[in-house]
Amino acid sequence: MEYKNKRKNYKKGREGEEIAREFLIKKGFKLIESNYTNKVGEIDLIMTDKDVLVFIEVKLKVGDKFGTPEEMINKNKISRVRRVAEGFLVMESVGKNYEKYRIDAVCIVLDENKKVERINYYENIY
Amino acid sequence: MLQKVLSIASVGLKGIEIEVEVNVADKGFPGFGIVGLASKAVEEAKERVKTAIINSDIEFPNAKVTINLAPADLPKDGSCYDLPISVGILASIGELILPKERAYFYGELSLDGSLRHTRGVFLLALLAKEEGIKKIFVPRMSANEASVVEGIEVFPIDNLKNLIRHLSGEKLIKPLKKVDTEDILEDISPEFDFAEILGQEQAKRALEIAAAGGHNVFMMGPPGSGKTMLSRAMPGILPNLTEKESLEVTKIYSITGNIPPGGSLIRQRPFRSPHHTTSQVGLIGGGSNPRPGEVSLAHRGVLFLDEFPEFGRNSLEALRQPLEDGLVSICRAAGSVTFPAQFMLIAAANPCPCGYLGDPKKDCKCSTFQVLNYRKKLSGPIMDRIDLHLTVPAVDVNHLMIGKNEVNNNEKSETIRNRVLASRKIQNERFKNLTHVHSNSDMKNSHLREFSNLTGEANLLLKQAVNKFNLSARVYFRLIKVARTIADLENSNEIKETHIAEALQYRVKSEEREFHPFDKLRGTLP
Repeated sequence: MEYKNKRKNYKKGREGEEIAREFLIKKGFKLIESNYTNKVGEIDLIMTDKDVLVFIEVKLKVGDKFGTPEEMINKNKISRVRRVAEGFLVMESVGKNYEKYRIDAVCIVLDENKKVERINYYENIY
Repeated sequence: MLQKVLSIASVGLKGIEIEVEVNVADKGFPGFGIVGLASKAVEEAKERVKTAIINSDIEFPNAKVTINLAPADLPKDGSCYDLPISVGILASIGELILPKERAYFYGELSLDGSLRHTRGVFLLALLAKEEGIKKIFVPRMSANEASVVEGIEVFPIDNLKNLIRHLSGEKLIKPLKKVDTEDILEDISPEFDFAEILGQEQAKRALEIAAAGGHNVFMMGPPGSGKTMLSRAMPGILPNLTEKESLEVTKIYSITGNIPPGGSLIRQRPFRSPHHTTSQVGLIGGGSNPRPGEVSLAHRGVLFLDEFPEFGRNSLEALRQPLEDGLVSICRAAGSVTFPAQFMLIAAANPCPCGYLGDPKKDCKCSTFQVLNYRKKLSGPIMDRIDLHLTVPAVDVNHLMIGKNEVNNNEKSETIRNRVLASRKIQNERFKNLTHVHSNSDMKNSHLREFSNLTGEANLLLKQAVNKFNLSARVYFRLIKVARTIADLENSNEIKETHIAEALQYRVKSEEREFHPFDKLRGTLP
């Protein structure tokens, strides 16, 4: 049962990332990598906004009965993203082309019919 | 939008105005942060404020909320910032209109949006008066504390919704009526009446003198002789606090949270009886953020230390400064504060660890060494500061019960109290121009020249006694103070020979009773 739920959440997360990616590409961002993983953790999206390399955390919630997605992003989560990002900058050559970095968040709320109810984008949350 | 709300922080017994700055930003990742050296209790205000606002049917802003408590370098503690923070947030999102004039907000929130009893409201009212603030908003449960302060409007708040309605002018809250100090009366219901205590006439007389002049008492006697009972009956013969004293005591009680919900000024003299395991900090006061101890809670009242030698040596010796100066200065890394501690000490002890040294009927089982060790706790400097030394012997079995047909001729507490009140009246008249002197024991040596009024014979007797018994200079002055009280009890303006003689009797006894290591061997027990 637990296992099943985990698969479900995983799938939902992927859906959210897709929505966020499309949303940001429309905004003029360029995709570098999706779901970059190292031993510290995972970054949902790595994109560029003009000359800034942006690490993006995506949160998706179905209905806000159990709190808003914003509440789920706390200090711990942000510092984890930062640590993964540091690893990315050291390990991957892409990072060397950029001088400025940023951590952003995209919060998505879906209604019961899996339609996007709202999508909020927050710049520089660190 | 940025909003500023005023509140206070307390440092020792002083209030300091705090500006609570609340910013609800349109931009930025939503969050809730408090800065300005906030303690854990203030930090937790976040959750209380958020939930209380939601439960008051108002949407909590999904925005970046930043709170600053200025001045930022002063450490802030306590739950009293819940109300100013939530008022600031509500004002920022346009749910509430802040009053035009400067006003103080103070109080702890409950999760349902109602306000809880919060300590320190009395201090808030005093500071408001000092700073010329006209309106204060405080929890209804604590509002009575503030109602005795003149010149300010006290608004008792039940919950956030009522406050919003009041500030928008929709439904006004009536400010509390100013209460006169004299109108606040408390029932005095001591555990024992003096009439219930049989025998021990000498001890009763000494306690009456102590109550009248605020002198320190030391009682020594075997277990079960009535030391504790006598002390517990003490509140029944103590006069109520005067207005000036009442303000001093209420301040301490308000800050330590010792005023019950709905309570107002303290009118009854404090009677504190800490257990003998009380630590030095608990007794004297202290902590990294200094708080008053039992000696300050007993300010203007009685500090009863039962089983005196069982207290830690550190705690007992630390009593020296407050006993002499009537205050405690506590210095810690965070700063130094001074708490008043003008109390009347009643100490009770057994003559030795087993309790029966010198008892005519029962043998003492202690070794000389044990007795010496026990008596070591009763150090000279402490005993020197105690004016009335009493022996409370075991009561004869024939006096223990009053028969059904016999009349209890013992004096009632009320009768004794009336005499005490009369002598206090004389003292109040005498010290009406002095700010810090309320009773004979508070007199400084310089006051004695003016007020002692010794007759020639009395002076002679005093000098002879000092020479004969080798009394210290401090004891000399203390003897005069006790004699002054005895004279006041007799409504005599002069201190006569008899008054000195009675005062001496309470002092000299202890000098004779001094335990000598060879006494036990010689069989010449005191």
